Amino acid sequence: MDEEMLAPLAGQVLSIKCAVGDAVEEDAEMIVIEALKMETPVFAPCDGTVKEIRVKEGDYVEEDDLLVILST
Amino acid sequence: MRRYFEKMGDLGRELRKGEIKRTEDNVAALQEVEQEVDAAVERVKTTGFSTEKINERGQMTVWQRLEYLVEPGTWCPLHTLYNPLDNPEDTTNVIDGIGKIGGKWAVVIGFDNKVFAGAWMPGQPENILRVTQVSKRLNLPLVWLVNCSGAKLPDQEKFYANRRGAGTPFYRHAELEQLGIPILAGIYGTNPAGGGYQGISPTVLFAHKNCNIAVGGAGIVSGMAPKGHFDVETAHELIEKAKEFKSEPPGTVKVHYDETGFFRYVFDEETEVLDALKEYMAEMPAYNPRFFRVAEPKPPKYPVDDLYRVVPLEPKRVYEFEQVLARLVDGSEHTEFRPDYGPEVYTGLCKIDGFLVGVVGNRQGYLGKGYPEYADYPGIGGKLYRQGLIKMNEFVTLCGRDRLPIVWIQDTSGIDVGDDAEKAELLGLGQGLIYSIQQTDVPMICVVLRKASAAAHYLMGGPPANRHNAFTLGTAASEVYVMHGETAAVATYVRRLVKEDEAGRPLEPVIEQMNELAQQYHDRSRPVYCARYGMLDEVVPMSELRNYLVAFAGAVYQNPKSICPQNHMILPRLIKG
Repeated sequence: MDEEMLAPLAGQVLSIKCAVGDAVEEDAEMIVIEALKMETPVFAPCDGTVKEIRVKEGDYVEEDDLLVILST
Repeated sequence: MRRYFEKMGDLGRELRKGEIKRTEDNVAALQEVEQEVDAAVERVKTTGFSTEKINERGQMTVWQRLEYLVEPGTWCPLHTLYNPLDNPEDTTNVIDGIGKIGGKWAVVIGFDNKVFAGAWMPGQPENILRVTQVSKRLNLPLVWLVNCSGAKLPDQEKFYANRRGAGTPFYRHAELEQLGIPILAGIYGTNPAGGGYQGISPTVLFAHKNCNIAVGGAGIVSGMAPKGHFDVETAHELIEKAKEFKSEPPGTVKVHYDETGFFRYVFDEETEVLDALKEYMAEMPAYNPRFFRVAEPKPPKYPVDDLYRVVPLEPKRVYEFEQVLARLVDGSEHTEFRPDYGPEVYTGLCKIDGFLVGVVGNRQGYLGKGYPEYADYPGIGGKLYRQGLIKMNEFVTLCGRDRLPIVWIQDTSGIDVGDDAEKAELLGLGQGLIYSIQQTDVPMICVVLRKASAAAHYLMGGPPANRHNAFTLGTAASEVYVMHGETAAVATYVRRLVKEDEAGRPLEPVIEQMNELAQQYHDRSRPVYCARYGMLDEVVPMSELRNYLVAFAGAVYQNPKSICPQNHMILPRLIKG
């Protein structure tokens, strides 16, 4: 089953802390979005494996854009 | 009113496994800063003569006196690192804080008799005025451990005179007494001149047998005939006079117990002086806590040590404010005021040790679509917008009406700016909040949890609200500045950059200055620096924050001058609807 991780806010992808194929635990920090001078981390909603990363560092994303797909 | 307070709404949640795992570095980083603070505190504690040396003279140190006097587990030190005029001794030479004596909360202050026998020193009057203000604001007795050799004479121009100089605390003592706030003084050692007024200005004087208080000491009496110069002949005269007075300094217990009666009691042992202070404190007017408690005290549901994981040291990192509050308040319970309005600010009622307090804090992170409602850009927590400012104005006013003390928890980068913000009246609403605070007359404290910046620092009950703010605490994550250093560097040098660029000159020298300014902002906004220069009254380990809140709430409700019956409170009813 796939779990989609969406951008919680519009901003720039500051860093990506996972790679395709990584096994991650719930609450692991996956991506950091910078907006309004603040860094908002996006955490894994559950345990899983990173199936796909749809953004790269420096990308601008809109709220609810798809960031990562986790296989659970 | 039990239904409002006995069981309030749940706040926060347990940390998840992943949160614990990924916050290990943050724990270590915060604790590293706390170790730096501890090292600075240790320098203050060990400055001057050693404890052994003082004990060899038959005296206790101020630290030993405090330890004997204050009930274990209740001492909340304040101003430990305060040293605004950079004394090489690392201290203003008074040690102070809040603690329980004889079962009652008191503000306690004592001269450090390890340093120049407790002399007046630069920065000390301002330290004492902060302390008398705590007493006044919290309506708490002030307990002095007087042991003051007078002025450190080579530095007298830095503290003796002026509007807030070394004599001003004596006016404040009189002011406290006129307000009905007693000042008890245990008196030790030689206290001439200023030391004499330190001794005489309190309400009841408890003397150790070897102490004295006097208008002038032996040094002044023996040197009171200036000739315009010194020579060998006058030196010999001075030596003889000094020897004479050394054997019997003015103002001993023979004079001030046997003759004037200024000393109400004299004791042979140092500890007996402290025992007497305890006895008097036990008899101080104070309500039984049950008079004001709205529920039985209980610890937070979640451990206070979680704060090391919840609060990121990195100032750009967002976190959940509710997770912080849940580690500080009784039972991790609350009743939030207007949760659907002004999302950047938390306002609500909580219990601390069973006492009701109002809490205001900055939420962090994205505030959701369509907020602020007056602009086409998104809002982020830490900033203040129209609704948050209106909500705080309302909440503070209602807390004032219900006589509820307020705990401000700041992590703010300032107020929204730009023409949209101006049209949304943020300037007026900010000053409106100052007006609201000023007219409440309830005690407040401020915790600078992380950032304190721009006007928001003084609007949100910070130290500039100094008629209301009893004290301001910092943490390892605290940083206080008018704006971020890089923002300041841009504001200062951007025109210069343009000019140099247009003139075809190299930009590097300007860039170097910009980096220097940004670094200076960083260095001068760290917790130890802020405590040294008085921007924070104490830097407190995260694990100790709740203890200070307990002391504050207990102090506020010990003997309030104005009360609102629980059954007349309007704020809980407004929230319930």
